[in-house]
Amino acid sequence: MRDLLTISPISMSILVVLLPLAAFVIQAILGKKSTSGIVSLIAITASTLISGGFVFMAVWDNPPVSATYDWFTIGDKTFTLGFLLNNLSVLMQFIVCIIALPVHIYSRSYMKGDPGIHRYWMYLSLFCFAMLGLTISKNLFMLYIFWELVGFASYLLIGFWFTREAAVQANKKAFLVNRIGDLGFLIGIAIIFSTFGTLDLVDLFGKEGIFSQGIDKNTGWMTGAGIAFFLGAMAKSAQFPLHVWLPDAMEGPTSVSSLIHAATMVAAGVFLLSSIFPLFNETVLLIIAITGTITALSSAFFALGQYDIKKILAFSTISQLGYMMVAVGIGAWDAAMFHLVTHAFFKCLLFLCAGAVIHEMAHLKAHGNQEFDPQDVRNMGGLRRYMPKTFALMAIASLALAGFPLTSGYLSKDAIVITAWEWAMHHEGLYLIIPILLIVVSILTAFYIGRLIFKAFFGEFRLNDLDVTHLHDAPRTMLIPMLFLGIGAVFFVFSWNPLSYADAGILQGLSVEYPFAEAHALHVIVPIILTCGSLIAWWIGWRWYVKGSYPLNPQNRWIQASLNQGYLDEVYHKTFVKPTLKLAQASYWFDQYIVDGLVNFSAKAVRSLSSLSSWVDRYIVDGLVNSVAGTTYYTGHLLRWIQNGRLQNYLGFAFTIVLIGIIYLIIR
Amino acid sequence: MGLLSLLIFLPLVATAIILLLPTSLRNSYKYIALVFTGAQFALAGYLYSQFDAAATGVNTRAGYQFVEQLSWIRMDLGTLGKLEIDYFLGVDGFSLPLLALSAFVMLMAIGASWNTTKSLKGYFSLLMILNLAVMGIFCALDFFLFYVFYEVMLLPLYFLIGIWGGARREYASIKFFIYTLFGSVFMLLVIVGLYFSVINPDTGAHTFNMLHMMNPANYVENSFFGYINNYHEIFGIPARRIGFIVLFFAFAIKVPIVPLHTWLPDAHVEAPTPVSIILAGILLKVGGYGIIRICLSIFPDAAVDANWWLGLIGIISIIYGALNALAQKDLKRLIAYSSVSHMGFVLLGIASLTAEGISGAMFQMISHGFLSAALFFLVGVIYDRVHDRYIYNFRGLASLMPKFTAYLAIAFFASLGLPGFSAFIGEAFVIIGTFNAESVGTGIPRWMAIAGSLGILLSAAYLLWTLQRMFFGETRLKGGEEWASALVDLNRREQLILFPALALALLLGIMPSLIFDNLNSSVLNLVALVAQYI
Repeated sequence: MRDLLTISPISMSILVVLLPLAAFVIQAILGKKSTSGIVSLIAITASTLISGGFVFMAVWDNPPVSATYDWFTIGDKTFTLGFLLNNLSVLMQFIVCIIALPVHIYSRSYMKGDPGIHRYWMYLSLFCFAMLGLTISKNLFMLYIFWELVGFASYLLIGFWFTREAAVQANKKAFLVNRIGDLGFLIGIAIIFSTFGTLDLVDLFGKEGIFSQGIDKNTGWMTGAGIAFFLGAMAKSAQFPLHVWLPDAMEGPTSVSSLIHAATMVAAGVFLLSSIFPLFNETVLLIIAITGTITALSSAFFALGQYDIKKILAFSTISQLGYMMVAVGIGAWDAAMFHLVTHAFFKCLLFLCAGAVIHEMAHLKAHGNQEFDPQDVRNMGGLRRYMPKTFALMAIASLALAGFPLTSGYLSKDAIVITAWEWAMHHEGLYLIIPILLIVVSILTAFYIGRLIFKAFFGEFRLNDLDVTHLHDAPRTMLIPMLFLGIGAVFFVFSWNPLSYADAGILQGLSVEYPFAEAHALHVIVPIILTCGSLIAWWIGWRWYVKGSYPLNPQNRWIQASLNQGYLDEVYHKTFVKPTLKLAQASYWFDQYIVDGLVNFSAKAVRSLSSLSSWVDRYIVDGLVNSVAGTTYYTGHLLRWIQNGRLQNYLGFAFTIVLIGIIYLIIR
Repeated sequence: MGLLSLLIFLPLVATAIILLLPTSLRNSYKYIALVFTGAQFALAGYLYSQFDAAATGVNTRAGYQFVEQLSWIRMDLGTLGKLEIDYFLGVDGFSLPLLALSAFVMLMAIGASWNTTKSLKGYFSLLMILNLAVMGIFCALDFFLFYVFYEVMLLPLYFLIGIWGGARREYASIKFFIYTLFGSVFMLLVIVGLYFSVINPDTGAHTFNMLHMMNPANYVENSFFGYINNYHEIFGIPARRIGFIVLFFAFAIKVPIVPLHTWLPDAHVEAPTPVSIILAGILLKVGGYGIIRICLSIFPDAAVDANWWLGLIGIISIIYGALNALAQKDLKRLIAYSSVSHMGFVLLGIASLTAEGISGAMFQMISHGFLSAALFFLVGVIYDRVHDRYIYNFRGLASLMPKFTAYLAIAFFASLGLPGFSAFIGEAFVIIGTFNAESVGTGIPRWMAIAGSLGILLSAAYLLWTLQRMFFGETRLKGGEEWASALVDLNRREQLILFPALALALLLGIMPSLIFDNLNSSVLNLVALVAQYI
């Protein structure tokens, strides 16, 4: 094993990134000829093996390695392609691989028979390429490129069923909201570049980097840069108020939701903030923590009222991402990364289980020739009898989500909540609101995931006029990946000690030093509160949803607000979308009638002027000429009469003239 | 005869042949045009590969390559001195990429003209004359020669739009012609003014040589545009500033900037597809090139004073153009307004007067050159088939024309600045350069960079919205079955035209050094030239 490690981890990690790209290109060329997805599967399998065996093993707990290659030069500044392998990046890369692999296997049967499946594999490989590239980028510019590319792949996959109106609305929304974040990222890059002249992560944030030499971080521009990068992370990691795209993104295939919109891409924001953590000053960190708390709380609330099984999970994802943001904001980005990793496993599993359920419901719908929404939990019920394995796996994942002891979620969530308490007790005062709210969110989490399980798997199947014998567990190609993820939802994968997160390998590997003291009592009290809270929540859920003693009116204002996601979409439509379109209309009107109107007016003015001058020319100038000519002519015409050729007349004229002459002489 | 002359006058040979051949051979005209343009493209490619990237260009003769200088007109004007007009050609890092771009876009335009049937003789000979003129513009280093090419360019375009165009072609062609002429007439005044202010240090005669105009030492003391002891004013504005403004105005019409842009949507919409391609791909770049080569290089002092306003105009063009594009219901008009928006980035980058900004602006011009050409070609494909391009008359085209949709989606994403494609590099570095301007001290505030980035968001909005409205969803066409059978997918010729353009967009997005390597030393030289006056 040792001599294998002599192979450069850098080139291996590049190979990990390039394999899915190759799969993308091959699939693009093969097109409809290849529908099995074997190319993508081989690529991601190889990537996973290499990433685990040659990159993660070689770099984890060893000093970071990096490589830089010149890319292009602008003026006298050279931009580079660089690859950075430290504990954070190899962990992220490995996790992406290890989540993507089961999803690929699962997709083989989940997406079977879809007419556009060749595109599916193409897009999926493109996504893997971009996401894996993102994890090991050494400079911000390169990171930004992959950052946008994952968004692009996500756009393609959300709109995979492009004939569905809702899907194409959703992918447009996702891309545009993410664009807002991307602009933040770009502005952040611009600030860093014009302040420090470099975008290299090692030069900036490394051990001997600019930031470790104690520069003044409390300037306005540094705060601006922090907020700009956070804006990027907010959009990608669906933080309030930019989270609105994620619930809609559930229009994509469920396997896509599990990989991109639950486990990996949406966590990229947390990863970014962890990578550039030294950049943030106190102000920015506080903003991050507050935003994270608001996100966690609001989304947990929205998740309570949803009926679409995927939307419940989507809001749950947003809420958990909020937890991770809080962890970054309080300076415990190692805890954030730990939660990112455990969350990736159990949330991906939740989605895959939901996918299996939806798959069966859709089959039932096709068999029964009936119109109903296969994703609506109100149409389910009692499924545990028909799909026991799916139920068992989903229950484990739900326990992990709720942070129940013996699961991985227990470890990582405790790490965040307890550290948040320690942080708040260090700062005192209003800061304590944040950990209190985190505990509330945790109890809400237990309730909404319990509600999902109770509604879907307990009680009686609600569409009783359908033949339930068609319902059965997912095929093995779907179950095995789910089982694999299920193992990742249990504590021993991350720490041999099921009760304390302190022994978790990931936390030790990332080893962040907190500026506040540890409070030992909390390590006992907080888990007890969380566990008891969850148990009470489940007891209530059991009574309400299984026993049927539901005390609330579904038309209740709060329930409606939760179902309609706080009416945020409507508010955005009214305040941003509509006015922008109105402004566009107005500026087009302005363009047509004012700007172009002015042009046409000046053309008209010139034309009128020229017809005026033409009139002047014809009737005044030429009129003068013509009247001179006319006068002459008329005079001539008058005098012509004299020259009439009659001798008598001539004599008469001569006589008259002589007579006049004589008279003149006499009178004088 | 030098290579540049060959490049410029090859189309003239083609014109002569086309004019001499009898009309019975009219089907061969397009092949003649294709062969000659292909030869030009090969030649431009050869020049590009032979270019020495270290050449600094801009203001010294030694900085240019493939230089040709012949005395053209010499006249003794008595007390006014000697008239000295040269046939003076050369290329540097600014002009060479545009030259290669022009040859490329011309090839696309010839390909797009393949099915033209109306008076072929006139059409192809005019196209070749246009080709000659644009090549000449990018090579000319004598202002008089530049002006000649600049004006020659208008004539074929006028007829190409006016005869081969759409329903309102006469209105559009007249508007285009007069608008552009309006700018260039005043330019002539400045050219004459410069002529009387500048002296060729070798012969002592007044000269039209642009390189001499870039050297302050060549200006006659107390002359109209002179540097030293210049108290000339018009309406209280110093003469050099007036000169800058007038020249900028002339080129800005071409770019075009808001509010001098309204000729563009009309000309684009009415022009036949190949002419739209040339208009967007090459003509607009003449404006940007003129601002760099002439406004900035000959009037660097005035440029430094005015760049705040240039930046502001750039931002207004970006946002206003994008908003207008958002409001369009005609696909071609939408693309036309998006050109206004994207060219605003060019102006913003130039105004930043930083190496990143100017490089970004140049890159954006190249990128927009073939991307807008591809976009207009794509619009032409639909229009050819059903003679309609009203966005709401189409829906769900993706199911009907999958290949076409794939190409169009790639072109759309490339234009909205997806990384990996060329427009991203251009726009990103315009933004970064503009942002950096405050650190360098060129007087462009940082909010302009942030405002400019709004345009990136809006461009995503109008392009994705179009994609959603026209291409996705269930198929539903205004023309019903008749349209559905008419809307066949791309044929091989169309793919042959589109593929290289999009491949180039991808290639330049991944390897921007293909442009930057030849561009860098010229940009640095220009920035240094301007920096003296900051």
